[in-house]
Amino acid sequence: MIALAAAIQVAGGLALASLLPGTVQAFKARLQGRRGPSPLQPYRELRRLWGKGLADPQPTTIVYRLAPCVVAAATALALLLIPIAGLSPDWRLGNDALVLVGLLALARFALAAASWDTGSGFALMGSSRDLTLSVFAEALLLLAIVLAALPAGSTDLVAMSAAANGSAPWSEPVHWCAAAAFGLVVLFETGRQPIDNPDTHLELTMIHEGPLLEYAGRDLALLEWSAAARHWIVLVLGAELFLPHWGGFGPQLACLVGGVALLCAALALTETAQAKMRILRAPALLAGGCLLALVGLVSWLAGGSA
Amino acid sequence: MLGALLLSAGTVAPFARAALGAALTLQAAGVALLGGAGAGAAVLFGASPIGAGFRDGLNPALGIDGLTGFFLATLAIVAVPSLLYARDYLAGVSSGRAFGALSGLFLLTLAGVVTARDPVSFLACWELMTLVPATTILLRSSDATVRRAVFVYLAVTHLGGAGVWICILALAHYGALSDPGALVAQGAGVQTLVVVAAIVGFGTKAGLMPMHTWLPRAHPVAPSHVSALMSGVMIKVALYGLIRVLFEWAAPAPLWAGLTVLGLGLLSSLGGVLYALVQHDLKRLLAFHSIENVGIVALGLGASILFASRGEGTWAAIAFAAALLHILNHAVFKALLFLAAGAFERAIGSLDLDRIGGLLRRMPWTGGAFLVGSMAIAGVPPLNGFASEWLTLQALIHVAFGPSLGLGLAGAVATAGLAATAALALFCFVKAVGLVLLGAPRRPEVADAVEAPRGMRLGMVFLAGCCIALGAAPGLLVPSLMELAPQPGDLATEPSLLVPGTGSLPSPWLLLGLVALAGLLWRLRGSRRGAPVPAWACGQRIEPGLDWSSAGFTKPLRLVLETVLRPRREIATVREHGLTQSVRYSGEVPHLFDTALYGPVQRSALAGARIARRIQSGSVRAYAAYLLGLLLVLLLLVRTGAIG
Repeated sequence: MIALAAAIQVAGGLALASLLPGTVQAFKARLQGRRGPSPLQPYRELRRLWGKGLADPQPTTIVYRLAPCVVAAATALALLLIPIAGLSPDWRLGNDALVLVGLLALARFALAAASWDTGSGFALMGSSRDLTLSVFAEALLLLAIVLAALPAGSTDLVAMSAAANGSAPWSEPVHWCAAAAFGLVVLFETGRQPIDNPDTHLELTMIHEGPLLEYAGRDLALLEWSAAARHWIVLVLGAELFLPHWGGFGPQLACLVGGVALLCAALALTETAQAKMRILRAPALLAGGCLLALVGLVSWLAGGSA
Repeated sequence: MLGALLLSAGTVAPFARAALGAALTLQAAGVALLGGAGAGAAVLFGASPIGAGFRDGLNPALGIDGLTGFFLATLAIVAVPSLLYARDYLAGVSSGRAFGALSGLFLLTLAGVVTARDPVSFLACWELMTLVPATTILLRSSDATVRRAVFVYLAVTHLGGAGVWICILALAHYGALSDPGALVAQGAGVQTLVVVAAIVGFGTKAGLMPMHTWLPRAHPVAPSHVSALMSGVMIKVALYGLIRVLFEWAAPAPLWAGLTVLGLGLLSSLGGVLYALVQHDLKRLLAFHSIENVGIVALGLGASILFASRGEGTWAAIAFAAALLHILNHAVFKALLFLAAGAFERAIGSLDLDRIGGLLRRMPWTGGAFLVGSMAIAGVPPLNGFASEWLTLQALIHVAFGPSLGLGLAGAVATAGLAATAALALFCFVKAVGLVLLGAPRRPEVADAVEAPRGMRLGMVFLAGCCIALGAAPGLLVPSLMELAPQPGDLATEPSLLVPGTGSLPSPWLLLGLVALAGLLWRLRGSRRGAPVPAWACGQRIEPGLDWSSAGFTKPLRLVLETVLRPRREIATVREHGLTQSVRYSGEVPHLFDTALYGPVQRSALAGARIARRIQSGSVRAYAAYLLGLLLVLLLLVRTGAIG
């Protein structure tokens, strides 16, 4: 079982990650009454990009060329921290939630530094917005982690997933608040509406797409894969910690697959129903999530469950 | 002892017309010995204290115990590369000898404060520690703004420093320096006095908000190796005093003290980084980050007091170790960043962030070291800033676990605040790295910049190496630091940080994994260069006018936080014959603590002085009348039995 979990962590993360944004796009097209691209479209894009040549905006340095590798390496390591159906083999990397946050921050640093290296206004606009929102999103993510770690008494993701197992956690208001707070984090990290619009072709409205504008070829393929892997990280984590799951490895795996599909559908539904928010409004949304998380914490502490 | 002698010899040597380089080398050797001997014995190998213990009397005494050893080691780790750097940095500078002697004296006073074992030598070294950098700053430049900065520095640190005097003298009076139980026996009133005085006094010198106003003025105008020592060590020595009081002399610190320190830490970390973000000068930006990092240390210390009051000894020790680890880490990367800033300043002149650019290509060693330091202070793995921030965050999260509602909420708010601080620091240092190192050079001097000389490079590369090493193996240090806590905790000594109640921080494996994976991907990608193309600007050519500025990059955040930061902007449009001839933009973010807190205080103090001056007529007869009046009042009081 642990071998299967390991296989899903590595192979799933590497190979299946791109399926998630593809699935969301396919769901979304259906909801909007279009036929839309197949869920496999991201793979075709990756294949096409892998075969193309690189581009080097002048005057860039090693920082620009190294950034995609650092982003992809940090994201790939983060994949190994996430338990699959409550299990994670010992990669010697631990399973700490805060290490995961740190790795995502490293990816953000590398990409933003690369935007400065190109000096392109659109890239910088994107990263400056991304970093602005990340201030609020990181506070929210940490609060969601605190809430999810309360029952387990530990920030170990495996322990947190085990503590969310069964129906007992759902009788605590704190679990609901944590799930809602994490939902907002998912919207931010996956770059979805109402916070960001993944389909935009207008540079002025880009957040997560902006810093990718200058890249081509394999560099872009690595970055596109990293964006897909971020979907995998937050959606699988969301299903592991905040969606219902029961029993041993088998049932939990089924719950995980169902949960991730559900989250994809929910993202597609949000994107269809919700227009993009003004960028300056998004921090208020995320700060509202922080308040909700604090309310959850109060309910837990006042309930004396600790 | 030998180290102190060598250090003194190095201090005196410049006066004896010895070569400056030799003197600085002598100082470096001295401080290395001092740090190595003291720290090695007391921290790593847990030897018993060396020299005298604390005493309340007037006889001067020196000694080293675990905590002192730790601070001596921090001093040595920062001072040795700074002095190596100074050998080339001061070469050819007029009055270089005086700088050399003063930096030696500064180091002696820093070491003096942490090794002092009696109130007199402590206070003497403390005051000298404040005065020596002021002299250095004035020696470097004495135009009006610098004189003003030094005045504010001395005024604020002396006003706040009164707290240190009150605290230390009260402790000595009650015999609490030698016998830590003595203060608590005096009751809550005295303890409150001592703790408040300590927080105000040491907090001012450490740069805790809102007593920080001197720091961003004084640090940027000092010579860079002195800035490194001020930011890296001097403000930490103030924290040393605070730690001694809260965890030893006035221990056990009451709950409210923990909450106060936690609150001040939160204010300093968020406030410091927010104001750092809107600075336009590299050294000023770094100075504001010192406030942020002192705040992070204070968060750890506050959490430790809260844990101790809840009886969770192990976590109290972990939080204490987190604070000490961050003290060391911040000393290393902030010294590195100040040294790099000094090297940039020497190469290109002004450090106006909007007019640098492209230095990584021209100064690869300094630039690379600056990049490592920036990533460390931004708190990204696998560097040292992440390790201590991780440990501090874990401590705060465990405060949030409750069971008491108030403390749990305080822990959660502090956790969210520290997370936001980390994200803001990342924002700020991406900006600094981008504006200083990357892109195209933005003025001719930058395009002609040359790499710093070897001694300076060596100092910076050593510190960058420390950032990586401390990031890779924090677990080797944390158990020894936990031993220094009032209630020592127990943790396995391994490179990884294996803390119960967390998923552990496997830092060496993270470093290895990141390097291996990034290397693998680099091979897969193919290291050949891509086709040279211009960056995309909708078909326009990218011109200097299109360069992004520091203010532009932080604009979204400024807009979001408008109600907190209150930015001012003015746009002046010159029109002639209905045509716009030119548009001028000026904007600034005023420092609210200065305008809203210190401004009114200063104004009312001056107004009070004006009123008081009215009775100072200068006429002898008036003064005789005052004396007569005073005498009558006293007689009246004696008559009524109020006094006497």
